[in-house]
Amino acid sequence: MDITKKVVLIGKFGVGKTSLVQRFVHQKFSDEYLTTIGVKIDKKIVEINGKKLSMLIWDIAGESSHQKIPSSYKLGAQGIFYVFDLTRPSTFGDMSVELNELENILSGVPIKIVGNKKDLISPESFDALRKQLSPNILYCSAKTGENVEKAFYELGTEMLA
Amino acid sequence: MVEGYRFKKLKEILFEQDRRAREELQSKLIEIEKGVNTREGMEARVNPILEDKVTFLQQNFPTLFGPAVTQAIKREIKESQDEVVEALYPIIGKMVKKYIVKEMELLSERIDRQLDLAFSWEGWLRRIKGWFGGVSEKDIITQQLMEPTLEEIFVIQQNSGLLIGSYSKNNTIDQDMIAGMLTAIKAFVQDAFSRGGEDLEMIEYETYKLIIRNFKSFYITAVISGPVNMEFKNELDQQILNFAEQVLKQEGQIREDKMKGHLEHWFS
Ligand SMILES: Nc1nc2c(ncn2[C@@H]2O[C@H](COP(=O)(O)OP(=O)(O)OP(=O)(O)O)[C@@H](O)[C@H]2O)c(=O)[nH]1
Ligand SMILES: [Mg+2]
Repeated sequence: MDITKKVVLIGKFGVGKTSLVQRFVHQKFSDEYLTTIGVKIDKKIVEINGKKLSMLIWDIAGESSHQKIPSSYKLGAQGIFYVFDLTRPSTFGDMSVELNELENILSGVPIKIVGNKKDLISPESFDALRKQLSPNILYCSAKTGENVEKAFYELGTEMLA
Repeated sequence: MVEGYRFKKLKEILFEQDRRAREELQSKLIEIEKGVNTREGMEARVNPILEDKVTFLQQNFPTLFGPAVTQAIKREIKESQDEVVEALYPIIGKMVKKYIVKEMELLSERIDRQLDLAFSWEGWLRRIKGWFGGVSEKDIITQQLMEPTLEEIFVIQQNSGLLIGSYSKNNTIDQDMIAGMLTAIKAFVQDAFSRGGEDLEMIEYETYKLIIRNFKSFYITAVISGPVNMEFKNELDQQILNFAEQVLKQEGQIREDKMKGHLEHWFS
């Protein structure tokens, strides 16, 4: 029997959560921005260390002034992506506060912090940013696909551990 | 000689009493020994005392041990609240339902009659349309739609939305994703409209109705096609409650590997 786990993507609006899922599940990317209403659920079965893992991916809309998201969407999550946008400091300025809150409601659940849209910043500013931020962040791009598979497989491995 | 005789007499006089006492003591000792060393003897002696004690305990148990036992039970319930609630849920559900069903009987009959009227009218409309369109299949489909049918049943974990088990007539949709979306919709509705305690109970989508019944750690959704009348809904409700009660009673907790079998047994 397959193992099924719930994965949630959390992060400010427009950071690229939906794009990351699209890239991972459907190998597609679009430059168009269609904000997620509420939540979108996708599924992908991956094989990790000989085990079949069915990932139920909850792509939760980033909160904005006109969209409040039920906090219960996160409940029961067994893996978390915290996504931010490398080009918008407002999407990672209060990261530690948000990570703390997550730790409070979902303590012990593996979290992967993902800095997205790497394709949009110059190597120099990328280096500068990387020095500022926590060392365990994974940098990727939903547009080029860089590190996207890696992010999901790493989280999957942690969830199965 | 005379002296010897006298001495003997004296000895007799002096020790005779002593000897008798000793003999009495000896026979008493043997008797006691019998009483202690043989089971029957011991029982005959101790039983009356034990019986008294037991009767005393029986009569005074509540006062002697009541507080301690109550305390222990209270602690047990407090520490395993989830299990207690889980066990009580179906039972309470049944009780409440019985009461409500009784109260609703009159109303439900009226609604049934209304529904019948409405549906037969719609049926006629469809049939007429069918005649004019010349499509006879349509007619058949319409007629089939008139019967409520249980298409799918899902047992879903609250909050996480993970599918615990399902039974499906045709297995055409991705049930994991449906389970997730249902949970999201439920959470959304609850968040937006619930003043506390209420829960989403029914979703209508074209000719489908999704009936949702909540238990503590999971909820059950039945997907029904065709018009759902009160009788069908009542029967389904009863079946869901029975299922939840039976499965929980047997398993203590939900076991995914056995769920499919249970669902097939109860709902096919
Ligand atoms: N260049 C580039 N653009 C990206 C990348 N990822 C996402 N985008 C763009 O960023 C915009 C927002 O992406 P979404 O994936 O919709 O963002 P989201 O986090 O799902 O947003 P909400 O659903 O509103 O919370 C879209 O126009 C995407 O095309 C990336 O890696 N590189
Ligand atoms: Mg989105």
